[in-house]
Amino acid sequence: MTEMQKYPLPTAEREDVEEALGLLWHQRELGFTEGAMLRRSLSTAGSPEGFDRLIHLGFIKEELGQVWLTPTGEELARDVTRRLRLAERLLTDVLSLDHTAVDPNACVLEHTISPEVTESICTLLGHPGECPHGHAIPPGACCQKNDALLSPIVKPLSRMAAGESGRVAYLQLKDHPELHRLLALGVIPGTPLHLHQTFPAFVVEVGESQLALESSIAARIFVRRAELPEMS
Amino acid sequence: MSATLDPAKVPTLVLVGNPNVGKSVIFGRLTGKYATVSNYPGTTVEVSSGLTWLAGQKWRVVDTPGVNSLWPSSEDERVTRDFLLKERPDVVLSVMDSKNLQRGLMTLLELAEFGFPLVVVLNLADEALDRGIAVDALALSRILGCPVVPTVATTGEGLAELKRAVEHASVVPVVTSDPPEIVDALHSLEAHFPKEIPSSRAVRLALLAGDDTVLTWARARGEAGGMEADLFAAGERARLRFARPPRQILFESREARLRGICAEVLSVRGRLAPRLSQRLGVWSLRPWPGFLIAAVVLFGVYEFVGIFGAGTAVNFLENTVFGKWITPGAAWLVDKILPWAFTRDILVGPYGVISMAFSYAFALILPIVATFFLAFGLLEDSGYLPRLSVLLDRVFRLMGLNGRAVLPMILGLGCDTMATMTTRILDTKKERMIVTLLLALTVPCSAQLAVILGMAAGLSPKVLGVWLFVLVGTTLVTGWGASKILPGSRSTFLMEIPPIRRPLFRNIWMKMQVRLAWYLKEVVPLFVYGTLALFFLDRWGLLKMAERGFSPIVQGWLGLPAQATEAFLIGFLRRDYGAAGLYTLQKAGLLDLRQVTVSLVLITLFMPCLAQWLMMFKERGWKGALTITVAVLVVALGISGVLNQVLLKVPGLVG
Repeated sequence: MTEMQKYPLPTAEREDVEEALGLLWHQRELGFTEGAMLRRSLSTAGSPEGFDRLIHLGFIKEELGQVWLTPTGEELARDVTRRLRLAERLLTDVLSLDHTAVDPNACVLEHTISPEVTESICTLLGHPGECPHGHAIPPGACCQKNDALLSPIVKPLSRMAAGESGRVAYLQLKDHPELHRLLALGVIPGTPLHLHQTFPAFVVEVGESQLALESSIAARIFVRRAELPEMS
Repeated sequence: MSATLDPAKVPTLVLVGNPNVGKSVIFGRLTGKYATVSNYPGTTVEVSSGLTWLAGQKWRVVDTPGVNSLWPSSEDERVTRDFLLKERPDVVLSVMDSKNLQRGLMTLLELAEFGFPLVVVLNLADEALDRGIAVDALALSRILGCPVVPTVATTGEGLAELKRAVEHASVVPVVTSDPPEIVDALHSLEAHFPKEIPSSRAVRLALLAGDDTVLTWARARGEAGGMEADLFAAGERARLRFARPPRQILFESREARLRGICAEVLSVRGRLAPRLSQRLGVWSLRPWPGFLIAAVVLFGVYEFVGIFGAGTAVNFLENTVFGKWITPGAAWLVDKILPWAFTRDILVGPYGVISMAFSYAFALILPIVATFFLAFGLLEDSGYLPRLSVLLDRVFRLMGLNGRAVLPMILGLGCDTMATMTTRILDTKKERMIVTLLLALTVPCSAQLAVILGMAAGLSPKVLGVWLFVLVGTTLVTGWGASKILPGSRSTFLMEIPPIRRPLFRNIWMKMQVRLAWYLKEVVPLFVYGTLALFFLDRWGLLKMAERGFSPIVQGWLGLPAQATEAFLIGFLRRDYGAAGLYTLQKAGLLDLRQVTVSLVLITLFMPCLAQWLMMFKERGWKGALTITVAVLVVALGISGVLNQVLLKVPGLVG
């Protein structure tokens, strides 16, 4: 494998195609698959001929006014979405960048990350399920293997061992009623946390309060490892 | 500040704060009144009020349920928030736990938005010192702009200063640390509220935080309409910008500000060596040695309630006080004053009000219930009960419940009626239904338990073993079955664990008195009615008829003597009363081992008492209550009958 193949420089064209496929993926998540509408949104996103290019390249098909991703298109769209959303997580959780800086940087990063690096980031972040905007991150091969070789910087409370400490990184609960309760009990991003035990229930010390919670909630509280220096 | 008060009106002072920070103790110190205090989150479900003299004036003091946030996510939080909005107190005491300052201040910031004059009470100052945490009250007072008073409510330290500070209560100015999107959103909602609406900012914030409960209130106050669209749009804008719900952004921006404040006023000198109570707190949460501790605790409760209360105390009251003095004395007195057969029978006959109702109520039940409530109060105030919730969470999940349901179930061992009321602390309708069913079916109340233990005492321990096995088995299977049949879902287990504290005896004693008074008010009239019912049933020969009518079930299926019918009929009035009836049968030598075992199981499983039954209707509605009634009848008769058949085949199980 030559250097060029291993780390292909992102060409402007590839970036455009990836961008367009990512947009289609997101529109599909929102339930929009109508051809005319997607054509419009691609052109407002700055790529007027992008839609036809995707058809030409064999990534999408338009049938009866509905847009379908072809198997290759599906794979590429999924991949680029995964990279973008992982990049957002990385910038938010590890580098603690301000939200205004996250979006533009993530958009650049997504095109340059290789598959290996994607897996490493995913593992490092503890295989997160959602991007900071609350959209699902398509799982990769590493998520199924659940690679524990590389110890993640941010991981769900449910994967921590008793005695470990850290700070609350984020809560993956959207508008879930438990989110309200957790916030009110002081489980707020940035708060120091210490895990006392994991069985029969998780017992954590958050600030000066002691909470008992079950694993299904623990899986939604992501904690940043304690040793890392604060960057904010 | 007192100048602004209307002299004709008694001003209101209200206590607001996180759960378990000592609001009720301060309330007691201020008013000399008792509000249910316990080391268990969620005990004060209602608002209690009293009077006091402060700064030469009479004040109404109000204690509110603990809140984690004034944007409510539970019933008790809503009670407090509604009180603030509707009653508009003159001064609010913001009570907080000194060692958990940041959380207390979070609630204070929410409180400040309402615009009431505030005094900050830094309670539990002793516990904070123990942990090496010191709060600079003066600095905090300067930052917030209102008085800050450190107190130790349990000893009364700082109370005098607190009383003086009430005069100087002042509004804490709102310092916005929210991002511009939130500020804009709040501003855009302003148009919908007339200027004169009080606490408008607090209401708008609550709306933005997604608190629907305040919507109706806002509408009633002449909200101009079209607000919901604006609210939704504002919420969506914030969400797009920050990718988090507005509530989380509000918490995060406040947290950032509070971290700054805490850095200025908090000094942590490093923890002192953990006290024994802290170590115990940690140990009792782990399976090992947690279950051992649980076993020791349960054994202690059994010794105190089962042996001392139900044995020693009952023996003395029943045999000596009633047996030797009251009943013969009453009989003598009745003979003297009302020398007719009818009055003698109704007062001191075999079904007499004094000889049966009063002696059951005061000699048999009172000592048992009193000792149980003392023991329960001790467990409650020490902070041990939530630890039991953690240990038993997994088991309770089998029954579609979670660890929170442990509290009503254990309280049920004291009084099932009270416990049925406490099911309100559970989150979902399904959980409340399952616990109500189990309380009606398998959880014996302390009075009944005592009689049962008394009956089993002289017999082979196998009897008690079989009884316990059947009961636990029925609980698990019924709970599991109900969780499969009933619609709805289990809520997730999330609970705050208070620290282990040394309970105050005075407090436990007062709590026992309050509960006992409630119990006696409930019990004694029912005992009297029950005895009268029995008296007339017996006199008119209806008792014999009922015995004959039910004999296929009682004598055939259950294999019990016909007289047992009476115990079950009356068991509906009072569970323990029914058990006591069996006790009499057993003493008369009418029951063999098999029959004792079957009747113990049946009287435990069979119908709840009248008070509990009525409470079931009140809490679960007639549909729920009737469903539970049918289920209890079917399961109780089914299980007891099967047990009878099994024991007929294998008598060795109990003999």
